Amino acid sequence: MIEVKNVTKLFDGKPAISDISMQFREGQTNLIIGRSGSGKTVLLKCILGLHEADRGEILYDGRSFTRMRQKDRKEIRKEVGMVFQGGALFDSLTVEQNVRFPLDMFTLMGAREKAARVDFCLDHVNLTGAHRLFPSEISGGMQKRVAIARAIALNPRYLFCDEPNSGLDPETATLIDDLIQMLTREFGMTTIINTHDMNSVIQIGESILFIHKGEKCWEGTRHNILTSGNEVLDDFIFANKLYAQMRKEKNGSH
Amino acid sequence: MNYFFHIGRYFWMLGKVFARPEKHKMYIRQLFREIEGLGINSVGIVVIISLFTGGIMTIQFAYNLMNPIFPTYLIGLGTRDVLILEFSSTILALILAGKIGSNITSEIGSMKVTEQIDSLEIMGVNSISYLILPKIVAVVFVFPFLVVLSIFFGLVGGLIVGPFVGVVSLTEYIDGIRYLFVPYYVTFSLIKSLFFGFLVSSVPAYFGYFVQGGALEVGKASTRAVVNTNILILLFDLILTRLLLT
Ligand SMILES: Nc1ncnc2c1ncn2[C@@H]1O[C@H](COP(=O)(O)OP(=O)(O)O)[C@@H](O)[C@H]1O
Ligand SMILES: [Mg+2]
Repeated sequence: MIEVKNVTKLFDGKPAISDISMQFREGQTNLIIGRSGSGKTVLLKCILGLHEADRGEILYDGRSFTRMRQKDRKEIRKEVGMVFQGGALFDSLTVEQNVRFPLDMFTLMGAREKAARVDFCLDHVNLTGAHRLFPSEISGGMQKRVAIARAIALNPRYLFCDEPNSGLDPETATLIDDLIQMLTREFGMTTIINTHDMNSVIQIGESILFIHKGEKCWEGTRHNILTSGNEVLDDFIFANKLYAQMRKEKNGSH
Repeated sequence: MNYFFHIGRYFWMLGKVFARPEKHKMYIRQLFREIEGLGINSVGIVVIISLFTGGIMTIQFAYNLMNPIFPTYLIGLGTRDVLILEFSSTILALILAGKIGSNITSEIGSMKVTEQIDSLEIMGVNSISYLILPKIVAVVFVFPFLVVLSIFFGLVGGLIVGPFVGVVSLTEYIDGIRYLFVPYYVTFSLIKSLFFGFLVSSVPAYFGYFVQGGALEVGKASTRAVVNTNILILLFDLILTRLLLT
């Protein structure tokens, strides 16, 4: 479980996120949602220590990341897998080398053991036969899969995904969402996903934090998000006509 | 004020560069990749530029020393000393700042804007050291070789062009390049090349690592990196010449 307590991050004196608190549990897909520019990435980067929070505290299973020395943070980071918005694959390395990179860097595995682990991870994201290709030679959806495979290479306890399905067609986006949820359950990870995609929200929103203009606006699940009665949240959700329709039907049935 | 900020951050970066590597094997692998990518791949341009410049210099010396009161060995001697003292160290460094430097800035810069560097940091890799140290070591290592190569091919250029266009005979030229040879000049040139190698790798790395924005900013950073590296090379040339030669 990751706990965020009253976290504030300022840029040039202005808050990008302010006073956000939330608990993210293991074994389920925790979503952070909000419009573009609402502060989702900033919050994620604060949790990861890529940005230093100006106020508040972050706990990884009770371990205070905020007060930790740099050396201990590195240990935590070895338990973290991250899928960046653009995939962030190393473009000078092949698919196989990308997934093997964390193993090369942090384990004493032998070559055969590493190869087996790479195959295991690539199999888990349903990607076979792309080992020798470079990131520039594969599609966006495949890049995301490789990024996920690389993120789970070291068997992380915590998985972070920043807009994992942005730039993908709806079908592929759904597949990626399902994949992340399946891996989260299988490995019991604490998974946090940033998204502004309502399809993801309805599909895998087991826990949802809604951020508006850098502030926590609502917290709930996919089951009660359509009937929250929160105006700002409704504005966000029902910008999409389809969901406006769904709400109508739901209200009609009561 | 802005300048102090950059200088401070540059030295902060250097502090990180020389931190203890996480895994030596990975660094060695990177190092060989960089020696090939940045060093070996620069041999061609160094040879071509040096051949031409050596040839052109020989013609110009011959032209300027046409009066019979000047002994003909001055042509070879002049070509040699200009190559050793200035061209093959300083001018070559300026040229390589354009090639190697912009390459380093755009590579590191694009890794930055596509979050590949964040990705390394998340994994717990010291990205500054992992990406930049092998480049600095590789460039500082190959620079002296490139300088020697440039001196050699510059002299060969004069040797070919001088007699060919008929401004100096082969024996006069060879006598010239052997006349009053000061070995210390070569030492001086090699010392300079170590400094220049460090500048040509570390300054563009700095500009790449701290890029913010997108592809456009990476391009701008490359330009700024080359300009600043060039200014620093000339500044260090001045200082080192003053300290070591006069
Ligand atoms: N490094 C930074 N420096 C200054 N402002 C930033 C920085 N990163 C993000 N911001 C600002 O913080 C706000 C939230 O951005 P972000 O978290 O990226 O939004 P999103 O929810 O789309 O991920 C934006 O207004 C952005 O301009
Ligand atoms: Mg974002």
